Amino acid sequence: MPGTYTRQSSLERRVLIPGRTIGLIIAAALLFGVIAAYSETFLSPYTQFVVSRLVAQFVLIALAQAVCLVVGGMNLSVGAIGSLTTVALGLCLEDWGLSGWAAVPVGLAVGAACGLVNGLLIVKVKINSFIVTLSTMFIFMGLRSGISGGNPYAVPDSFTVVGQGNIFGVPYFFLVMLVVLVGVAYMYRNTVFGRRMLATGGNEDAARLSGIRTDRMILSANVLSGFFAALAAILYASELGSAAPETGDSWLIVSFAVAIIGGTGLNGGVISALGILMGGIIYTLIRHGLIEIKANPYYMNVYLGLLILLAISIDRGREVYGERKRQAPEAVAEPAAPVEPPQ
Amino acid sequence: MLELKHISKSFPGVRALDDVSITFAPGEIHAIVGENGAGKSTLMNIICGIYQADEGEVFLEGRPVHSRDYRQSLALGIDIVHQEIQIVRENTVAESIMLDKLVTYGPTGIINWSAVNERALKYMDMVGLDVPPTALMKGLSPAQKRLTQIARALASNARVILLDEPTSTLTKHEVKTLFDILNDLKKTGVVLVFVSHKFEEVFALCDRVTVLRDGRHIETRPTSELNRPELIRMMIGRECKEDHLGRVNFSRDVEVLRVEGLTRVGKIEDASFSLREGEILGLYGLVGAGRTEMARVLIGEDRMDAGRVVVRGELARIRSIADSLYRYRIGYLTENRKEEGLLLADTVRANLTITVWPRMVNKLTRWISPRQEDATAHEMVESLDIRTPGLAQIAENLSGGNQQKVSLAKWLAADCDVLIIDEPTVGVDVGAKEQIHRLVRRLAEEDRKSIILISSDMPEIVRLANRILVFRDRRIVGEVDNVDDPARTYDEISMAIGEYLQ
Repeated sequence: MPGTYTRQSSLERRVLIPGRTIGLIIAAALLFGVIAAYSETFLSPYTQFVVSRLVAQFVLIALAQAVCLVVGGMNLSVGAIGSLTTVALGLCLEDWGLSGWAAVPVGLAVGAACGLVNGLLIVKVKINSFIVTLSTMFIFMGLRSGISGGNPYAVPDSFTVVGQGNIFGVPYFFLVMLVVLVGVAYMYRNTVFGRRMLATGGNEDAARLSGIRTDRMILSANVLSGFFAALAAILYASELGSAAPETGDSWLIVSFAVAIIGGTGLNGGVISALGILMGGIIYTLIRHGLIEIKANPYYMNVYLGLLILLAISIDRGREVYGERKRQAPEAVAEPAAPVEPPQ
Repeated sequence: MLELKHISKSFPGVRALDDVSITFAPGEIHAIVGENGAGKSTLMNIICGIYQADEGEVFLEGRPVHSRDYRQSLALGIDIVHQEIQIVRENTVAESIMLDKLVTYGPTGIINWSAVNERALKYMDMVGLDVPPTALMKGLSPAQKRLTQIARALASNARVILLDEPTSTLTKHEVKTLFDILNDLKKTGVVLVFVSHKFEEVFALCDRVTVLRDGRHIETRPTSELNRPELIRMMIGRECKEDHLGRVNFSRDVEVLRVEGLTRVGKIEDASFSLREGEILGLYGLVGAGRTEMARVLIGEDRMDAGRVVVRGELARIRSIADSLYRYRIGYLTENRKEEGLLLADTVRANLTITVWPRMVNKLTRWISPRQEDATAHEMVESLDIRTPGLAQIAENLSGGNQQKVSLAKWLAADCDVLIIDEPTVGVDVGAKEQIHRLVRRLAEEDRKSIILISSDMPEIVRLANRILVFRDRRIVGEVDNVDDPARTYDEISMAIGEYLQ
């Protein structure tokens, strides 16, 4: 390896914001600028309120996906968990007449329990997360429809404060999301739990052979995923002023899109909270922009699908380019490891 | 006739084959034997075109073979039957044999199954495969799968068939059937090359045997003129050029680990030994002899079927590597550093401190102190002389030797008393190997670590260990003590080990 090692060099290289995230911030800012210049209403407090609340919802949904991607899995049932949570919430509030203070913990518990079921199936029965969450998606969805009969539940007015209120124009919804996001960033960056989850996603075998109980990490990630999906669902019900069973139906694509645009590694081990926030903003702004230019709403998903492909292609391109750049000068300097193939 | 002339092949840091010339005659079964890393696999891969030789040439019936890949070799009539059985489970036997030459109705692309089955039957008869051609592969026994592979080689008109440990998954009875068929087959003038770790098979089946050692061709002799001790001497006997490292000064009366009757069915049977403080205990044997298998049971990666493990006088229950590391301070350095040892895409820092994060946490904020993390990582980089431009370097970019030091360092950081080090110098260059050797000795002598060294590299194990356990067929078959006595020569010790291998 060329280059000498000094104590100094390591300290200054603890990167705070990676280049990719900076790219996202610039992209988000550009989009914001373009839409603001084009539209007269975009900068109005009302539009900003609505848009930022949408960002908050998408970010929470994406987090539910990202925590599973980080440990090398996925969760196709994020939307289904959201739906089931909404129904549980509705039951508590309308049928059983509980207050929000009791109903919200129940909702969160239902979400986390759904995640626990996913996690246990993945870890104990050793089925891969795709199959597990595909199946539980149907199960949760079915339960949702069966229990609710498809009808929305009424919620008391007091329940809508968080979803509809604001402080200095910033929705409470958005603030809740920010708090969660900061917590997530802190967890992955600075806590043993978070870093062990990252290590598990980076290389499960190596992590386990380094003394990490990788099964627990995967289980925890799935519980967290369920929790975040539930949180998103509850806040959405609060925003809507009713607990609508169809809540999570459109979440799946959003969860992947925002997580991927935000730089969450599809093979695990990589996540950026700031990136996911930017992903949420970009995703929301593009949707909003398409409405502003009166694009045919029936084609909306085409653009969003293309956006995901674009994000993945750019990442792939960076990866290939980075590998070439790394290999070229060092191929001569020192041999890499692989030598004798296994006998 | 297949001839290899002056074949050399290097990989970064290692000369895998050095001027190897061998002639394989048709109508004979030719064995290739050697320790792990002797160059057998590399040789096989060159013959069948998967690797290209740096120097030298391969001749098939007098004509030079210049194949650039396996497909070209196959077209020339050279085929390999791999150690692992590679099949498509849902295919029929006939389909597996005829896969690259399915008979169709003219140019329609529609497969004429009855013709395929009929032709396959011919090759199945040749290898004595007694099942309907329409049987599914997944229903076959390992031996029958093996025969299917050989039939496939014959169907592609192979004149040279390389058999890489073909018996490794077979029962005794199945091995016998396979041998009968190979003996019939050689009469048809096919060149059969047989790679094996099992001496009985070499003597029972093969006409001639070639010994490789450290990438060099040692000798080719008819098996009828040879006996087992001679063959083993040819395999392992070599001059030990490195200087003697002196005696290992361990505490005879402080037992840190005792293993009694450790068993995992099919992996390791009834292993018992004791390890003292500051000792370097070598485990020698061929691949699959049960060394790594035992280590993995010991650290809780695999379940133990029977046996007891006593750590510092206390009965230990080790059910995961986390137990092993955090409760009993036993570390395991895997032989497979790229797949299991390192987080390749992560920083050197994270790889060095992954085992000690819990120790650096602030109780209230759960914050891993970056200052402490850096300090620990620095300490390891300096004490092990890891060559890296910085702690933020991605582990994948380090050289093999430095990667190995990183994976060793994480166990040192965790302050393990017992270190199980599995093949520490595979794939590292000579300089790094020497450094790692000295490091292992220093850990035992200065830091009073107890070390279990698993190695298939005889000079390495003789040089480092003070005691060696010899493994064969999933059992500990012998023990050689006082390996570090400067009065004993390398030859003496390697012969002592060799005796247990017979």
